[in-house]
Amino acid sequence: MSVIHRVRLPVGATPTVEVGHSVEPAEVLATRRAPRGGINVAVSAALRQSPADAERSLVARPGATLDAGAILAEDGRGRQVRVDEACILLGYDRDDGSAMIAPLSGSEPVLGHVRGDVVSIEPEAIELRIAGALVAGVGGSGTAVHGELRVAVHEPGDELRATAIDVGATGRIIVGGSRASAETLTRARAMGVAGIVLGGILDKELRDFESTQQRRREIGGVRGDFAVILLEGFGKVGFDPGLFAWFRTHEGRMASLFGDTARLYVYDAGPPPGRRVLPRPGDRVIAHRRPHAGQGGELVRVLDRPYAFASGIVGRGALVRFEDGRTAVVPVANLEATEPLASA
Amino acid sequence: MTPTPVRADLALLLDVGSAWTKAGVIGRVRGRWRLVAHAAQPTAWGATALRRWLVEQLAASVDTRLVHRLDDLIADANRIECHTARRPARLAVVAVSRDLSGGAARRAAEAAGWEVVETVTFDDGRTLAGRLGILQAAEVDAWLIAGGFDDSRSPRALEAAALVASARRAGGGPVIWAGSAALAGEVDRLFESGALSVVGNPRPDARREEPAALRTHLAALLRDAVMPQDETHLSSVAFPRAIGALAGATGLRILGVDLGARSATRALAEPDGTFASRVHASGGLAGTVLAPGAAARVARLAGDAGDEAAVADLLQTLRARPTSLPQTPEELAATQTAARVQLAGIQEDGVPGSVDLLIGAGRTIAAAPRPAQAARMLLDGVRPLGVTQLAVDAAALLGPLGSLPDEEIGEGLALLGEDLLVPLGTAVVCRGGAPGRLAMRVAVHRSGWPPRSAIEVRTGQLQVVALPRGQAAEVTIELLGGASLGAVRRSTRVQVNATGGVVGLILDARGAPIALPKRSDDRREVLAGWRDSLAREATAGSERVA
Repeated sequence: MSVIHRVRLPVGATPTVEVGHSVEPAEVLATRRAPRGGINVAVSAALRQSPADAERSLVARPGATLDAGAILAEDGRGRQVRVDEACILLGYDRDDGSAMIAPLSGSEPVLGHVRGDVVSIEPEAIELRIAGALVAGVGGSGTAVHGELRVAVHEPGDELRATAIDVGATGRIIVGGSRASAETLTRARAMGVAGIVLGGILDKELRDFESTQQRRREIGGVRGDFAVILLEGFGKVGFDPGLFAWFRTHEGRMASLFGDTARLYVYDAGPPPGRRVLPRPGDRVIAHRRPHAGQGGELVRVLDRPYAFASGIVGRGALVRFEDGRTAVVPVANLEATEPLASA
Repeated sequence: MTPTPVRADLALLLDVGSAWTKAGVIGRVRGRWRLVAHAAQPTAWGATALRRWLVEQLAASVDTRLVHRLDDLIADANRIECHTARRPARLAVVAVSRDLSGGAARRAAEAAGWEVVETVTFDDGRTLAGRLGILQAAEVDAWLIAGGFDDSRSPRALEAAALVASARRAGGGPVIWAGSAALAGEVDRLFESGALSVVGNPRPDARREEPAALRTHLAALLRDAVMPQDETHLSSVAFPRAIGALAGATGLRILGVDLGARSATRALAEPDGTFASRVHASGGLAGTVLAPGAAARVARLAGDAGDEAAVADLLQTLRARPTSLPQTPEELAATQTAARVQLAGIQEDGVPGSVDLLIGAGRTIAAAPRPAQAARMLLDGVRPLGVTQLAVDAAALLGPLGSLPDEEIGEGLALLGEDLLVPLGTAVVCRGGAPGRLAMRVAVHRSGWPPRSAIEVRTGQLQVVALPRGQAAEVTIELLGGASLGAVRRSTRVQVNATGGVVGLILDARGAPIALPKRSDDRREVLAGWRDSLAREATAGSERVA
């Protein structure tokens, strides 16, 4: 199977690839010259004009990009003001007759962070076709990372503990279980883990981790990229066992993880177990809210009449036999059917 | 003998939200149009499931000769539909200062229904390169620039415009200049012809904020440029139109609040039918998590929703899975408190004067398990000072009716009569007064009922007097100890008429904003008292005190 990944290009980026090119995660798709800090260029003094007259002599308007040596202003009598380096003209101060420019840096790369084939190039974005599967999450944190998948827990409901992170995890994307503490995330980052895939995590733990990383970044103590993705929900939410089994079969495959947009691409992988709303009797289902968040089971029957839940909410209910042996009535709106793997 | 053909006049009213779709079937029953079935389901479940559910409801009550035709009848019924915009429109705000021009521009944009995805100001602590980099990477539908007072020629404001000119692609969406009027010509020259529109400065000087012109312009831009579909079918447009028509028909001043999964709409309509509305793109339940400190605030205000960590997870769940339902009492308490917080957020500048009728819409409010919970969300979220009728749009009919042509909205509202809204009762909300001292002495006179002694309400108390739906009472309110109903009055004695509802007459002396004890045990006790006072079923002739 294949999926499309879109890489947005910032303004001013120049693509370095063509349609049909095959690219690797670290390959440069485009380059751009990012603006650096602003500096003032004396215009009226150089033209020996008043600030108001000098403004009329500007040949570029604010917002324009100028090449090195380009004329910024000229008086028509031979006097010119040129810019020394490529820059963006930001504005002109009519009081002191100076122009503010933002010099452009050297070429900076725009990476795709995925392996795939370029299928389209537009001014705003480059699209890549990835041979593999996309697993979409419900939340996450961090930048784009890539690495080999490694499953680090035995059961989908297990917590990913700090002790499970060893040197073998360095550079890999670790598949954990129901949750991980901020301590585990901190250790994973310190051990050079590229990313972590979890069923759920306490929002507070994730925020605590982000805060400590932010502080360390501010003092320059953080190197390398790291990302976390949550697949099921917030809180202690286990993996769907079917999805966990799918990860097990793909252990060792390369993957690219985008934490902030909660997407995980697994290369050369078949489709993950599908999800469907409005499950039917006999379906394998997963529940999404407390008190059954992340639990899987079988939908026994949908109740004929609206059901009053403990909260007082009245709605469509379904009797679910969970994998731990308990049965409960759950709002159908809180259930998703999980489709079996194609090979199952 | 030929069987008599059975005719069924049906119409289907649909409100298709980003998370839930609400459907009402209205039919002619003994010559009158009545709401005969109502269903709500996640939008993703599709039309077939919705129709099946409506058929199940109708099958129990319609003429048996129609049962086998119900599916076709609903499928063929006249559809009156409104829907939420498919995606929020995104805006970048570039301004001189975060608190003055930036704050005013941002508030106006959010109140017009835009999602502000980037805000760049010259006091945001970023470097110039950082600001440019952020704007160059921004994926937005429009750009809003603000800065400089009208009598000044601020170079910083021009720089803000140049930043946008540098970061925006040619043809990369409309640009709005809402800065110093003196600079409009210069800013216009920075962009290609036709790209820039100039509107009134929301901060014309240091003391005034005048966001109305900008808000109106942004709302029009949202409809015309970004969402070119038939605007009257957008829920954010249809709901205020229905509120306006209802106000015109009843002669009441009405405030309607529609709290959705993603966005919230607030419409204030005058007795002549004119109305003003605001759409808050992140004002829905899913947006609660975006507010700084929201989890702590919700946990504190709910009292019975669990600790802050549990509430934080719940708020994230509301964002990630907006169609899911609270199954436990704790989750319901947190969800309803989040609704109160969001309602308070969209009333940032309050309601000028009192309103006669406050209508709550949206699943969380209108489909609350108990009417008292809906009343609590409206009272705590909006804090309507004075004497206000409360009602909910339980069947989500206002949005679809508001999508009708102007001349038909009033007719639609009138046809549905008592089925349109569920009256919760009347609330008397006062502020001021000394803690623990008497704030109101209220005498309730019901025609045909024996006279009874006045009810005393202390500051911080909430009392409910049974006043069933369809009943009216004359209420005499004596304000004590400096308490007031909001408006300046010469007399401390006020006489009003109150109408009943499923909750009753609510006497609320908790102040505005509501003051809560600092100690958590005390706070929980007070909150539980208010909850229980509202939650107990009304017994005729009795009062519930907390």
